[in-house]
Amino acid sequence: MKDEPQPVLLFEQVSKWYGPVIGLNQVTLELRGGITGLVGANGSGKSTLLRLATGQLKPTLGRVTVRGVDAWEWQAKALVGYCPDNDSFYEDMPGREFVVSMARLCGFDKPEALRRTEAVLERVGMADRADRKIGGYSKGMRQRIKLAQALLNDPQLLVLDEPLSGIDPIGRQEMLELFRGLAAEGKCLLVSSHELEELEKLTDHVAILTRGRIAAVGTVSQIRDMLDDQPLSIRIDVSDPRRLAALLVNRPEVVGVEFEPKVIGNGTHGSLIVRARNPRRFFEDFGKMVVSEELDIARLEPLDDSAHAVLGYLLGGSGKT
Amino acid sequence: MSRLPSSPQLLRYRSLNVARRGPWHGSVAIARSSLRLLAGRKMFWALYAFSLLIFLLYFFGQYLQVFLEQRVSESLVRTGGVVGRTIRPDFLVKMLRDALHMDGSADTFGDFMWTEGYIVMVLLAFAGSAIIGNDFRFNSLPFYLSKPIGRRHYLAGKALAIAVLVNAMTTIPGLCLFIEYGFIDTWDYYVNSVRLLLGILAYGAALTITLTLLLLVTATWLRRTVPLIMVWTAAFVMSRLVQRWLVDGLGLSPRWRLLDIWNDMYLFGQWCFGTNHLLLRPSNQIQPEYHEATAVMIVVCLLCVLYLNRRVRAVEVVK
Repeated sequence: MKDEPQPVLLFEQVSKWYGPVIGLNQVTLELRGGITGLVGANGSGKSTLLRLATGQLKPTLGRVTVRGVDAWEWQAKALVGYCPDNDSFYEDMPGREFVVSMARLCGFDKPEALRRTEAVLERVGMADRADRKIGGYSKGMRQRIKLAQALLNDPQLLVLDEPLSGIDPIGRQEMLELFRGLAAEGKCLLVSSHELEELEKLTDHVAILTRGRIAAVGTVSQIRDMLDDQPLSIRIDVSDPRRLAALLVNRPEVVGVEFEPKVIGNGTHGSLIVRARNPRRFFEDFGKMVVSEELDIARLEPLDDSAHAVLGYLLGGSGKT
Repeated sequence: MSRLPSSPQLLRYRSLNVARRGPWHGSVAIARSSLRLLAGRKMFWALYAFSLLIFLLYFFGQYLQVFLEQRVSESLVRTGGVVGRTIRPDFLVKMLRDALHMDGSADTFGDFMWTEGYIVMVLLAFAGSAIIGNDFRFNSLPFYLSKPIGRRHYLAGKALAIAVLVNAMTTIPGLCLFIEYGFIDTWDYYVNSVRLLLGILAYGAALTITLTLLLLVTATWLRRTVPLIMVWTAAFVMSRLVQRWLVDGLGLSPRWRLLDIWNDMYLFGQWCFGTNHLLLRPSNQIQPEYHEATAVMIVVCLLCVLYLNRRVRAVEVVK
């Protein structure tokens, strides 16, 4: 039987203390590929986790490895690309020169550094604008240059800290496609973002950090299913809302039913907002009920089955980060 | 998580994979980019031009000294004025030699590197924030530290950049003057003056190590140009004034001159050149012993290393 390859990124019971303050608390996380979103409120430990993953910090306890090598070692760093969130860097330097410098820093000789620089600039759409000084760049251009330098070493793990902030909608779409392309090439992407809606477009696999701990990892739906005690809100457009409400209130999973005061279509349908625990069981039972009772359902829409809402539940707040 | 199918782009991109060199080559890259950043500043070139002027003064001064020795030795020199008088040429040559010290001696190289050192000091005060301070100030370190290098490689790269600057303005021109004097004197000069050659290298090394460490410490501590210049000035100018006031003004022990790190480096340099301690100039200033000055330099360097070591670890400590 063939051995399974080492995970691209592995956190094993990792804790990180900053003096008396704990930044990360016994985090265990394993990434093997694809795109993983990292979400959490300010101060939840996102930056610490990213810095540990990129070998900029050593864990106080536990171990962080990239393909089995300690993330702190340069051999591991050679497998990682990091796009930090700060925008202030080398204002006097042209973008191309900056990327070449970073390529030399990766240990490539000059011809190779130049070749890689052109390849990554082309890839991020900056090849024709890279001779301008970084000081004159827009925020979106800075993001692209930062991404270019992260791609120089053809990383197996690409860590992106707020990669979409400040980018216009068209540029954002291009970046999302680029990220998908990189994932399609087999790279593992760890994306930290406040833009949860954009993150959802990119991936449904998220790790939610709260107070230095991983609160949940998985697809948004999986995490949502784990939150049985948090009722899911579902809007149902139906021809006879009163009858449906009467049927639903007897269900054990349903904790509340509200009538929505609006007329759907030509007045033949009404709308209900149903709050139900254990969504999976609710939907199974609801399907059977629709068939047996011959209900005329026009539309069924979960209202808070989003990363934003899930995060809100986990953080005990609005979900704002 | 399932692995997604590869795209045609993968083939093009993967083709870039080649063997890369170790992290110490990253230090060289850091030094190179730091020097390039510095070279983009007019202030650097202005100060470097000034340093070059001093070098040229010594370079042609040595020629002039030899030229005069040959010319005036043949006849008496008549001075101008209402009452003309003659001067013995050997007396004139000795006077020039004592005043200018451009004769390929220990004094020549000691004076040259001392003078150049001042320009280096001013240049480093300006360069410190550009080379190192801005990395800390603008939080650019993640770009470096996420690459296949460690913090020590980063500091080594920055130190290398400073060392190149210091040596380009002190040791290398000093060696050029040494080689030049051998050409205009005799070939025996090279054989007889090996001690001077070693002295240039040792003095240059002392300047390089001490200034590099001091700049790394002050730049990582202060980050901004103006405070850096103020502290740098205090360290090199104020300490000189203080030691003079303490020793020459209040009549305290000459050991108080050890406060002046610049003077300590000069004493170390003279020790390396083999200058007799009793003949140190200015003759009216009693200097501390050579080994005392060397000990102070070593202590300062060790303190800098300790601070940098702590600083490297302090990146992980939230203030």
